[in-house]
Amino acid sequence: MSGILVVGDGPAAHRLAERLRGHGHTGPLTVLGAEPAHHRPLLTDVVAGRLPAEAVRLPPLPDTRVSTGTVVTGIDRARHEVRARQGGTETVHSYDTLVLATGARPVVPDIVGATGGDGHLAAGVTTLRTASDCARITGETVVVLGGGPLGVETASALAARGTDTTLICAHPHPLHERLGETCAALLTETLEQAGVTMLGGRTVVRRTPDRVLLDDGTNLRADTLVLCTGAAPDVRLARAAGLRVRTGIVVDDRLRTSDPHIHALGDCAELNGRAPGGVDTAWAQADALAAILTGHATVHRPTPTVFRLRTRFADVSCVGDPADFDRPGARTVTLTDQANRRHARLALRDEHLVAAVLFGVPEAIAALGIAHRYGRPVPSDLLGLLLGPPARPAPVGSETDEDALVCLCNNVRRPALVKAWQSGARTVTALAGATRATTGCGGCGPLVARLCDDWEHEARPAPERAR
Amino acid sequence: MTRTLVVVGHGMVGHRLVDRLRSLDTSGDWRFVVLAEEAHPAYNRMALSSYLTGRTRNDLALADRAFLDDPRVDLRLACPAVSADRGARTVLTAHGEHVPYDALVLATGSRPFVPPVPGRDAGHCFVYRTFDDLDGIRRAARRGLPAVVVGGGLLGLEAAHGLSRLGMRPHVVESAPHPMPTQLDAGAARVLHRGATELGLDLRCRTAVASIEAHPEGTVGAVRLTDGTVLDCALLVFAAGVRPRDELAAALGLERGDRGGIVVDEYCRTTDERIWAVGECAAVQGRCHGLVAPGYRMADTVARRLAGHPVEAVGVPDTSTELKLLGVHVATFGTTDPAAGRAVEIVFAEDTTRYAKVFLQHDTGSLLGGVLAGDTGSRAELGPLVGRRPPAHFERLLLP
Repeated sequence: MSGILVVGDGPAAHRLAERLRGHGHTGPLTVLGAEPAHHRPLLTDVVAGRLPAEAVRLPPLPDTRVSTGTVVTGIDRARHEVRARQGGTETVHSYDTLVLATGARPVVPDIVGATGGDGHLAAGVTTLRTASDCARITGETVVVLGGGPLGVETASALAARGTDTTLICAHPHPLHERLGETCAALLTETLEQAGVTMLGGRTVVRRTPDRVLLDDGTNLRADTLVLCTGAAPDVRLARAAGLRVRTGIVVDDRLRTSDPHIHALGDCAELNGRAPGGVDTAWAQADALAAILTGHATVHRPTPTVFRLRTRFADVSCVGDPADFDRPGARTVTLTDQANRRHARLALRDEHLVAAVLFGVPEAIAALGIAHRYGRPVPSDLLGLLLGPPARPAPVGSETDEDALVCLCNNVRRPALVKAWQSGARTVTALAGATRATTGCGGCGPLVARLCDDWEHEARPAPERAR
Repeated sequence: MTRTLVVVGHGMVGHRLVDRLRSLDTSGDWRFVVLAEEAHPAYNRMALSSYLTGRTRNDLALADRAFLDDPRVDLRLACPAVSADRGARTVLTAHGEHVPYDALVLATGSRPFVPPVPGRDAGHCFVYRTFDDLDGIRRAARRGLPAVVVGGGLLGLEAAHGLSRLGMRPHVVESAPHPMPTQLDAGAARVLHRGATELGLDLRCRTAVASIEAHPEGTVGAVRLTDGTVLDCALLVFAAGVRPRDELAAALGLERGDRGGIVVDEYCRTTDERIWAVGECAAVQGRCHGLVAPGYRMADTVARRLAGHPVEAVGVPDTSTELKLLGVHVATFGTTDPAAGRAVEIVFAEDTTRYAKVFLQHDTGSLLGGVLAGDTGSRAELGPLVGRRPPAHFERLLLP
């Protein structure tokens, strides 16, 4: 059986290794990474103080040689070997199939004083990509730079732990392009109410000890400056090895690079001209590549992913592309409810959802996310779905059927949860441990909690309609 | 003993009032003196555009034979009131006659607002309100030549449509970001804009007329816009709104509203218990109303009052509208400007072909009102749902 070597320490590498064994790969399996793999979406929970850093570490992989503290320095494609350095020692690892899951590297903007002479970040300045970065955020007053999801999530997490937090973004509101004007403005309002000082249309130009200077001359105290200014695919190894690279490492629909023995996936890979990044994409690719490498599938067909903002202050979710709203032939439905801070914008073609931006409508997020992902028609009473039970009786959709998919990220269906419940997993945490539901984007958390409650109240020992 | 009601103005509302009181006044207490400025009895001004496309003055006339032949009615055409004397209880006509009254109703309507742009006195510049205006437009219209309509409201768009039916190529200049800014929001206006474009109208929003240039012979030749554009123009129509005709308020010592109009209470009475104002010239509790429906309500209220019947306050008028403009169905129903933040706003739209915006009460979810444009459900179907929670097939009612 041929040996598979995986380079990377993120969720993509971890999920791939796990699924390879699940699909019956019996040959040697080695993972080389700098840090122990951890669940990156939960880093902001560490920042918020809700989880200790060790808690976001991914579980150990069975039957896999995992070599942490290992920095891969080069690929010798002719000899099918990877060179690495572990501690002070040079090591060589041979492969039959090599998988690059090198992820992305934070983009550090040009801010005077943010980096030292050696190019490393100065004291009190950090990006947020690894578990060790969390510990670099210290002090009473933190300035977060960046209007993307990570900036918002980090600022929310800091505000939640009581830190004096300022979020600075170039657009008037964070996530401006993705959410659109109305929704992004709602997000700003919500974050302000959560205690975050919002400074839109600004940027940081200079870092001095304990302070930052903005482009409009404002000078703010900042014990730590957190740079959430995006990430770029880490293509260094691939480029040095002569593989085809554009924005990311170019792969085909079998997730193969320009060298048929080398695959790439996750944040470092570029498929169909796009390197979208994100854990959902990485997981889907890992699942697909495991199936391809074990002969259970031949190609990877990406399914649409749901974007969900991880902040406890607002339910924000998007599917599709913002440009889909302006394509001819689309029907749009837009709901704005300032009083209850709700917003929804949908683009539909016939009965199918093309794109959506949803704020403060968690029920709709779940139902529409599933409809979009599986190309199902949306419920005919869209208004009822968007307004939810307080305003109108909610329609009972087909989504609540017995076989319903509950956790999109981990592909957990309702029967799996029922089985886990019957086996004694009687809390959300226990169900999460048994099935992995809720451990992805967290979007199904409320649903799992509700199922848990329902079953608790139903006749014991267990819900019998589940088989 | 008979009493004399003097009505100043024989427009749609003034006529309605006299006609109403005639039928209510079964014992013959009242005689009527109606002072009309125009040389024609009242006509349906709402349908004025159809006069450009073949309907006659008779087709649009409101006063029937019975009215015109009624001995109680003294209708004086081309005889406007110029002043009045509250102490003597008389109205002075342009012919120098003092007409005594027991009750006086001012139904003077509005006059078109002509913006103070240089060159506005050039020949072939018109307003759009009377038969005479439209006769002038018809005479000056030339097939294939460009025309400019100043104002993209309901009247301006109707005028432009009329001009295009006369074979001219109209440009419409509107200073707001979209046409019909008073009634429609941007989304509904986009549907209308598309209809206008399909009819060959050139709609230019967010700009205004800076000056009007005349040919040496005195007729309009070009229009310069504030954005620097110069449009060739053989005929120009001002349709930039109206102003209430409230000049008699000064002579009578009556209060005028902040934005013009003769101030009346919710029963249309001025501070003088013998003097009333109805229609577009009346500022009911400070606010003027330009639609005929509230005008008719005012006329009915005053007629009932004068006939000694119990009356209800005029109240806040229902400003619902439904019309076909430029081949596009547009309608509003219920409330279309709920207090900011107190309503849920929902928009259903399909490209720029149809558009429906509705407002729901934010706490109960009941329907407040909406704006419709294009091939949507009708006001008749949707209006009755106001005050209730919309049904599950609401979206299909809006966009069938």
